Amino acid sequence: MHEMAGSVPFIDLNSTTILFLFCVGFVGGLVSGFIGSGGAFVLTPGMMSLGVPAAVAVASNMCHKFPKALVGAIKRYKYGQVDLKLGLIMAASAGVGVQVGIKIQEWILKTWGQAGSNLYVSLTFVAVLVLVGGYVFYDAYRIARQGGGEKVSPLARRLKQIHLPPMITFHTANTRISLWFTLPIGFATGMLAATIAVGGFIGVPGMIYVLGAPSLVASATELVIAFVMGLGGTLKWAVNGMVDIRLTLIILAGSLLGVQLGAIGTTYVKEHMIKVVMGTIMLIVAVSRALAVPRYLTDLGLMALGPGTLTVLNKMSFLFMCLALVVGAVIILGAMWRAEVSRRPGIEATEESLG
Amino acid sequence: MDGKQSSTGWDPREAAAASLMAKGLSVPPEMAPENRKILLVGQGARFTDSVLDYALNLADRLGYDLVAVNVGPASPAAGPLAGLKARARRAWFCAQASWAWRPVRKRLKAAGLKAEHQVRFGGLGEVMTVLHREKRRIEFVLNATDSREADMLGGVSLPVFTISTGKGEMNMTAEPNVRQVLGRTLGWGAATVALYAAVFLNSESIMGYFTRGGWYAALPVATVFLFSYIHGTFAHHLWEALGIRAPQQKVRPQARPARRQRPRPRLRLNV
Repeated sequence: MHEMAGSVPFIDLNSTTILFLFCVGFVGGLVSGFIGSGGAFVLTPGMMSLGVPAAVAVASNMCHKFPKALVGAIKRYKYGQVDLKLGLIMAASAGVGVQVGIKIQEWILKTWGQAGSNLYVSLTFVAVLVLVGGYVFYDAYRIARQGGGEKVSPLARRLKQIHLPPMITFHTANTRISLWFTLPIGFATGMLAATIAVGGFIGVPGMIYVLGAPSLVASATELVIAFVMGLGGTLKWAVNGMVDIRLTLIILAGSLLGVQLGAIGTTYVKEHMIKVVMGTIMLIVAVSRALAVPRYLTDLGLMALGPGTLTVLNKMSFLFMCLALVVGAVIILGAMWRAEVSRRPGIEATEESLG
Repeated sequence: MDGKQSSTGWDPREAAAASLMAKGLSVPPEMAPENRKILLVGQGARFTDSVLDYALNLADRLGYDLVAVNVGPASPAAGPLAGLKARARRAWFCAQASWAWRPVRKRLKAAGLKAEHQVRFGGLGEVMTVLHREKRRIEFVLNATDSREADMLGGVSLPVFTISTGKGEMNMTAEPNVRQVLGRTLGWGAATVALYAAVFLNSESIMGYFTRGGWYAALPVATVFLFSYIHGTFAHHLWEALGIRAPQQKVRPQARPARRQRPRPRLRLNV
């Protein structure tokens, strides 16, 4: 997040680059449209592996994130899934969280250098993803075993009973809770976004388990937060001339297709599938980040590993990250396919009885 | 159905005209009795073609006039500027209804039929009561709404014939046909391709401007908004053309408990 002076090298595009960005954009958009976040964490390292400088990668990624979130939010708003009030309140506190997260990052960078900063990022990643992702996955499994039917979490029920004015009613999310419980979730979303570029991994579970919103509404509302944060972040980067509009537009070409498909998918499948996809992705990404930790420990001299091992670990880390997205997409498409197939026979039967 | 059994009761003008005719005298125009009417009630800004066809043919065959009423929703007062919002909503509804009635007027002229178009707001029951008072010689009602006769009529006693088109009048706009969807997809797709071509064929100069920083930051932001709109619309139509869309959710009107009424003629017409 440092200012870069002088001319920035922008990469030359070829068909492989274009195809790669389009496909990753599509899959990222699909996952985003479905669970409200995701895709960004693959795109930034993905672009960097193509030779794009880190700042340009982050900037171009952000510049595609907010229009994708806007399109997804509009579509899901039409399905009645977006709680605008909740989204805007959380976006406001997320904005504050982002600034604090950046300050913490800068302090760690100053104190422990680049390697220390990377280690901090990775450890945060792993901790949050394993704890939250694990719980989300377990909850989805429990609901699936019971045959569907989401219920408000016990924590949310208890928090809703605590009367701390101002109490706010969120109609679409079907919850009435104190503002003082809503703001920290937004703040944590912003902080995580500043740290690991994906705030939704705290935002969506936070809305579900702390505020008591249904997962359909939580994932849709997250898109509103993503839009606001993305727009703010993009302006900051664009003012420094860091946005490579060509990369952004190629990714957008794929992600606008994907995000709408993901949004449609939420109306096809059972509600707990959102938790399944989210939990799965989070756990696989946790593995990916865990594989990157040894490298930072070696850099800091806390571990001794040969360069060959480190290269293998790095490659595996990247592969697992892509795998997370692909697995998520496969689960979404699979669920949509099964829902479509089980719908068809019903329609045919009706036509037969009428004919 | 003749005048004696008319639900509007004894009509003095009609009686006077009838007595003049019985004496073999001609009836002056100002005394001529009003023609019998069919009241067609719809709950949306336009009637579907099948409903209109049926109503007009029926009026033609019976020699009755047609009074067509589009009933708009009563706007509940809520929040600031409620009055202004309600007025705007009503104006929009009236505009839609008038626009939809224009081709019907042409048909009426060609067929030599007399029909009147009205737009009212409020609950069906209230509207019916008011109309029944205002209009003379309504013989029966054609119900082209989703409501049941009992809910519709309130205290008015008129025969009601419900036209059911199978889809329900809540689904006012017809399903877009395949050609329309494909056309739209290709149109927006062409616009998208044009935009991308414009950017990538001029990538050198565009990159030069877009990465200048400062106020030039507005350029990439505005560009992605534009692309989101055009490409986003194309993507929407593409999925629709491929048959991937959210399952339809029809809005079901809340059924009010029916008041006990005298048995009235019921006829379901499948048009």
